[in-house]
Amino acid sequence: MPAVARLEEDLRDLFAHYSAHRTDRAHDEALDGEGGLRPHWRGLMDWARRAGPDGYEAVVGETRRLRLESGVAFDPTGGADVAAAAADAFPVVISPEEWAGISAGVMQRARLIEAALADLYGPRTALKEGMLPPGMAFGNPDFALWRTGWPEQDAPWLTLYEMDLARGADGRWMVLADRVDAPLGDGWMVANRVASSQSFAEPFLSGGIRRIAGHYQGLQQLLEEATGLDGRLALMSGGARDPRYFSHAYFARYMGAALIEPADVTVREGGAFVKTVEGLKPLSVLLRGVHSHHLEALFQPATATVGAPALSLAQRAGRLRLANGLGASAFAYRAMAPFAHALSQFFLDEDLRIADAPCLWMGDPAAREQAMDEPELWRLERISRGPLQNRDAPTLIQSDRDALAGFLRRHGERLAAVATPPLSTTPAWRSGALAPRQWMMRVFASLTPGGWSVAPGGVATLVEPGCAPPPLGFGKDVWIPARTAEEARPAPTLERRLARTHLRRTGGDLLSRVADDLFWLGRTAERADVTLRALRGVIDRMVSGQEEDDSPEVLAAILEIQAGPNDNRAGMARVRDAIARLTSDHHEPMGLAPLLGALRRTGQRARPYLSEESWRSIDRLTTDTGWRSPPPPQNASALLRLIDESLLALAAFAGTTQENLTRNHVWRFLELGRSIERGLSFARAAEALAGRRNEPDESWLRAWLTLLDSRTAYRTRYMTVPAPAPCMDLLVLDEHNPRSLVYQLMRIEEALNNLPNPGPRRSRELRLAMRVLMDVRLADPEQLAEEDEDGRRPALSALIVDVRAALAELSDELARSFFAHTQAPSRVGLRGRLEG
Amino acid sequence: MSTLRILHSTRYAYGAPAAFSQHLLRLTPPSNAEQTVLEAEVTVSPHPQERAGYTDAFGNALETATVTEPHETLEITLRCVVERLEREEPMLGASTPWEQAARMAMAPAGLEAALYAYPTPLTDADAEIEAYARESFEPGRPVLEAARELCARIHKDFKYLPGSTTAETPAGASFAAREGVCQDFAHVMLAAMRALRLPCAYVSGYLRTLPPPGRARLVGADATHAWASVWDPSVGWVQFDPTNDMQPGADHVMSAMGRDYADCAPVTGLVVGSGGQMLSVSVDVASLEELEAERDAALIPDPADAAPAPPAPPLQPAPIASSPAPETPPVNDPATGAAARAAQATLHGLSQDDTPPDDDV
Repeated sequence: MPAVARLEEDLRDLFAHYSAHRTDRAHDEALDGEGGLRPHWRGLMDWARRAGPDGYEAVVGETRRLRLESGVAFDPTGGADVAAAAADAFPVVISPEEWAGISAGVMQRARLIEAALADLYGPRTALKEGMLPPGMAFGNPDFALWRTGWPEQDAPWLTLYEMDLARGADGRWMVLADRVDAPLGDGWMVANRVASSQSFAEPFLSGGIRRIAGHYQGLQQLLEEATGLDGRLALMSGGARDPRYFSHAYFARYMGAALIEPADVTVREGGAFVKTVEGLKPLSVLLRGVHSHHLEALFQPATATVGAPALSLAQRAGRLRLANGLGASAFAYRAMAPFAHALSQFFLDEDLRIADAPCLWMGDPAAREQAMDEPELWRLERISRGPLQNRDAPTLIQSDRDALAGFLRRHGERLAAVATPPLSTTPAWRSGALAPRQWMMRVFASLTPGGWSVAPGGVATLVEPGCAPPPLGFGKDVWIPARTAEEARPAPTLERRLARTHLRRTGGDLLSRVADDLFWLGRTAERADVTLRALRGVIDRMVSGQEEDDSPEVLAAILEIQAGPNDNRAGMARVRDAIARLTSDHHEPMGLAPLLGALRRTGQRARPYLSEESWRSIDRLTTDTGWRSPPPPQNASALLRLIDESLLALAAFAGTTQENLTRNHVWRFLELGRSIERGLSFARAAEALAGRRNEPDESWLRAWLTLLDSRTAYRTRYMTVPAPAPCMDLLVLDEHNPRSLVYQLMRIEEALNNLPNPGPRRSRELRLAMRVLMDVRLADPEQLAEEDEDGRRPALSALIVDVRAALAELSDELARSFFAHTQAPSRVGLRGRLEG
Repeated sequence: MSTLRILHSTRYAYGAPAAFSQHLLRLTPPSNAEQTVLEAEVTVSPHPQERAGYTDAFGNALETATVTEPHETLEITLRCVVERLEREEPMLGASTPWEQAARMAMAPAGLEAALYAYPTPLTDADAEIEAYARESFEPGRPVLEAARELCARIHKDFKYLPGSTTAETPAGASFAAREGVCQDFAHVMLAAMRALRLPCAYVSGYLRTLPPPGRARLVGADATHAWASVWDPSVGWVQFDPTNDMQPGADHVMSAMGRDYADCAPVTGLVVGSGGQMLSVSVDVASLEELEAERDAALIPDPADAAPAPPAPPLQPAPIASSPAPETPPVNDPATGAAARAAQATLHGLSQDDTPPDDDV
């Protein structure tokens, strides 16, 4: 029983309950076998003692705040993961001597996997000499057979390598998993370190803890050399729904890489290109955060993600450096483990420095017997992809032995039986005191110009005994005290690195996909705005009680500009029906329910390009619980309040994009979307409201003015009841009224004028915009207001038809010129079989 | 010995012009112990901006073709003349006991065969398929003899039913339904053999169909075909056609070999465009003698030729597949476009297979 007898007097309070929870003889990171504090923990513990529980809680709070902040900044959903941010933050300290051993073991492992991959996809000597059973290659679905027989590649298989590592209760380190297919957990590593080095600044600085920036500088230097002057560096993520998106977004920013998705890339003539609004731009280095089997559209169409390019063609031609190479999945997760000792001897002629946690390959009949004989010791996992996800997957314990034996015989090559022995413990902060908990960590290695390098530190997490390594996230920072002044020297800060790299490489490119999202964000926001204004105009008039204003026919007509007509109802019932549909029906295309949903989705995708304030307006509006169960039409005041709040949020969004977005392409696409939509909704309103037979013009015109938010402008200018000609002037032709038709067309022309245009002539879309702007400018308000004998306004109608057609065509032209690349390629071929 | 002329054409018609298409072609047949390719030409129209050829891991000739200019149709045509060679029929009963064959495939010397010994997603066996295989693979039985029996049983137990499966139907599903087309018959045979870890390859190719007596040959009504090839350590690869319960002969032409259909698909690829696609495929296999006879007959028009003959039984099973692909949602409408892209995200959101959340392996 370890005692606190040897523990220094001053630390006894801190460890008051610690020893009671310690398992007999299990290795502990902080306390030695006699219960004394290991010397490399002294600095942190002295600080913890001085801080006391209250002081420590304050630091924990600060850590959580910093984590949430980075989460808010990089998490596409905007809602930072509160539970993840609350993960235990008490650092783990590892002695420099121990770290030297770990680091050498990690680098050895990276070299081993590199050699094994090069051989497996090349000369296959390990297979030919029986060092590796054929089932480990050909029976493993993550072995990319199509990748074999290529001409020799200059680029190594691995540029990045991550290891899940733990120390057994016996004090020996062991490998829990190799992360080689799409590692890129570095974003977590850096974000975690940024948070912990700030909140734990005092012990971090006084303890002389080694920095990680130097390691990443090495990686960056390597990537820069591979990128060259004309090339591009990008990090490919699965997108906002990828659980690792945070790490991808964070690390892309840190490394100055463009953050892209599979559909942003196309492969032509052996080269990979990024689709931007200025055309295809060459991509030379790709940090790959998407799994091999999701990314090869030609050879693995069945598992390729929608929009995946034929990346293999570029890799094969040697014109795209992938970190890591497609097919690295063959030795991912536990696939190296059962053979690591032998392969280390075979390929490196070295003893393995860090052994693996027990792992049996189920392709081997003897190993199957062993696992079935000791069911309580082992759990089944997919050998190169981790835990079995299928709920019906058999466990060794529960299955009937014959059925299990058959299952393993038929599928064994893809499976491993894995055991996690008891692990060492480390101090965790539990309700005001330290408690020993089993733990593991992820460490991060990469190639640098000088060879493999390991970031000094890692992300540690507490683990439940006997479970698979948990997903990476925020965790305990791992600290390595420096031995020498050289090791302790800080590297340039994050901010300086960001400024340097961001300007040079990613400043100019706007991805076609993002431009498309911005355009639709602008259009969707405007649609929501129009619907809200129609609702407010109608509800205002319903409650105003003026005889001529609340004619149900006028009210219904206003609403039915947005909502589909319902001829089954009449009078006020028809009005209330339209209100209900526009506020809560998910199938009403211009209703708030689908529009707010679409607004959130496009907003999320465009978020990296918006200011924080702009995003918050969208976030506030689209998460407003009021719209989940809107008040019924009868409860006019509650509904009006909700509508006004929403209009304010949209105005704030429009305002902040005006204020905060520099006038670049991002702003232009947003602006184009908004102006085109506003022009189209103007046309819809004009068709529905203007020149209706036998109606008191005043009432219809008033409705139109309200809808276009121009009632005040009209009143202050004309001080009279609405009359047709002045209305036409204000709503159609007034170049200073931001709601007028001509104003929208001017904005469209201006934005188009500043968009990239590859040809010598004005672009088609620009010529279209100029023509329709001229048509509108030349219109005469008196003529537009003229009625024929039926009470219609033929001149206005003709103009509206013209504008409407032009705007629709403009939208299509924009799609062709700038977003065409965003169309995801679709698969062909598999359907096209003949049945012979 | 026979000399066959093959025309295999794949034509896409797009609803809206496609901006870009990239295809992988496995069309050119190999020359080997059973056949000699006298001439072979693959044409792509419109003319692709890039074309490149490789040899894949199975020894198949592979080509990529990329069209980067807008096009409304794409047609890929193989024209080849292949001479089928006589081959001595192996003594099936004199082959290696199957347990020993399986062991030898796992030894370093059997590496080339071991490639074909493991299940793939399309040829995964369940307990039922394994049991079905073991009925033929009695202890100690020669592997080729047992395989021949398995081939006959599949032919007998399964119903040939075009349309009952798709190109992506796994062996387990067609096995359970006891029906399918040649691809499914081959997949079932592969799954059964591989459940015992016996090397067995998927062979894609063509089969010349003979018109019923007195009828004219139907041009273009032939089909691509598929069968299986079984490995014996001493004899090598021996082919079996479970669809027709036979060993391929003078009318079979092999075009590619792989682990399953996915390794051999003649045309796969991607296309960027907003419209739907309409696909039509036609295959014509004829012997040179037949073609000559037809040329002669053409000089004296025969009214009977005008009326198409009804398709005839087993040996020429397939009608021309012509399946319209579902419409791709327009990208420039937020209602459907956004939903479509959201759906894409879900697909990629790693739910397509059962990849775990932190599957960063």
